[in-house]
Amino acid sequence: MEAGMNIKQCNRKLIKYEMLNILGNPFADFFGVVFPIMMLFIITKAMKPEIPASGYAEACTTIFISMSLIIPMALLLLGYAATYSQELEKEIPLRMMLFGYPERATMLAKIIAQAIVTTAALLVYSIAGVIGLELTVPTIGAVIGLILCQYLLGVIFFGLAHGVSNLFHKFGPTYAVMMTVYFGMMMLCGMMGIKAKNLPGFFQVVSRLLPMSHIGEDYIDVWMGRSYNFVPMLQAFLFLGAVSGIVIVMAGYKNRRARG
Amino acid sequence: MLLSINHLQVQYGKQTALDIEQNIMIEPGDRIGIIGSNGAGKTTLVKSILGLTNYKGSIQTELKKEEIGVHMQYNHYANTMPVKNIMETLLNTNIKNNNKLQDLIAFFEFEACLNKRYSSLSGGQKQRLTIIMVMMQDAPLTFYDEVTSGLDFETRQKLMEKLIEWYQEKDNALCIISHYYDELELLADKVLILDQGKVIAFGNKEMLFEQYCGHAVITIDNCEKNDVLTKHFNHLLSPGHLIALSCQDLEEEEKIIRVLVEHDVNFKRSNHDIEIMYINAKASYYSIEGERAGLRPGDLKEGKNGGRYEYKAV
Repeated sequence: MEAGMNIKQCNRKLIKYEMLNILGNPFADFFGVVFPIMMLFIITKAMKPEIPASGYAEACTTIFISMSLIIPMALLLLGYAATYSQELEKEIPLRMMLFGYPERATMLAKIIAQAIVTTAALLVYSIAGVIGLELTVPTIGAVIGLILCQYLLGVIFFGLAHGVSNLFHKFGPTYAVMMTVYFGMMMLCGMMGIKAKNLPGFFQVVSRLLPMSHIGEDYIDVWMGRSYNFVPMLQAFLFLGAVSGIVIVMAGYKNRRARG
Repeated sequence: MLLSINHLQVQYGKQTALDIEQNIMIEPGDRIGIIGSNGAGKTTLVKSILGLTNYKGSIQTELKKEEIGVHMQYNHYANTMPVKNIMETLLNTNIKNNNKLQDLIAFFEFEACLNKRYSSLSGGQKQRLTIIMVMMQDAPLTFYDEVTSGLDFETRQKLMEKLIEWYQEKDNALCIISHYYDELELLADKVLILDQGKVIAFGNKEMLFEQYCGHAVITIDNCEKNDVLTKHFNHLLSPGHLIALSCQDLEEEEKIIRVLVEHDVNFKRSNHDIEIMYINAKASYYSIEGERAGLRPGDLKEGKNGGRYEYKAV
């Protein structure tokens, strides 16, 4: 029996394969790496004449924090859903399984690859921000907190994208749903130029259910070392995490039923 | 014995996709051709063996799932992925350090495709990619599900020649699902005929041929002149454009050939024509079923999957 026949574990080749898989999606590359940097510089340049010089660094930092949220949204929420739903539609996970890669090995490789690519994209974004903008100096705790928020969001988005892909098993409906969710979240969380507090009443309520709106608008207080009540943000994380969990459970239930 | 199937039943909702009552055994070195029209249950059978679908009954084997090689009907990979990465990842090896893989790549003349992306491969190249990887597994049991469908005649021929050459004198058991009878005539030594989820016939190719067609079959064009000329001979069911004559022994065969030569009729002689065997095995099965159900020739019978078939006396 050949080497190709045994049960394979998550290995470096598989992780590299999954990384190439992510980077092979040009939309994920653009929206996850180029787009946030582009938006960061366009918005900060556009607002410069309207903001007093003394407050400009803080305003830039707010935009920097807010636009950084596009990275996990684009790479994990949208990019992963697009790639994985296509894989499911073409039964690629089954092909991997027939070549000895159990689902847990491919999933682990996907998670590691997504974490590496997201980290790289956040690093590129941070370097661009630090070099190209006047940012205020944060406390160490604020930086660690923001990184934690990014990864927590990443986990939730990954789960949501995985669940929705598994619900539909097709690229078309998955992409339609995720695009709607992506742009909806961007609008509700002040990433499209309108602040959440300027939205109509109902949308403001929905906006506060999303952790991105708390991070985008309020995290500057943590960054600047001012007092901040974390409870609403944690509740929003719990809410979005629960939505993601419910979608995963629903997808699992549907797939078990489909199998007979 | 590699694998044994006993009373296998697969339901998709209310529809019975597979209902195998008899015992089917796969032995080392077997070359089993699986034939049947669309919806006959061929792919469902493979999926059941791989545990990809729920079933009732028993499939006994000591093989683990990963010890069964499968070339599915559709084999897709990430479109943007370079072929070399697909191959090295799925087989968990490096091409440059793996002589056997290098040999296979050379055998299938696949070197130029390695640096291409999967999406830029032609249909035949995509098939070859999976075949190389499946062969590389060197599994004791391998399924090839419609491995040449969608390919042009020349590519199909070349692919089959390569498959035959590679597996010559090897002990791996192969199950080849195909709609191309000529491929099965070349590759298979046993035949499993499925229809509407039921086993119509299973056994050694020669024995089944003998059972349903006789010692040999002579086929001629179906025209009025030929029909009149051969009316005293034993006709078998055949595709519409042909008349198939059954020869029970050499003597009868010589007699038929003499008549055909005398009347300047072109003919083809075969002692392994799977298409004629398939048609007659199916008709024979349904005639027995029809008689059991009290039908008369020409009656229409409701099929298991909602389809209807005509009961013909054979």
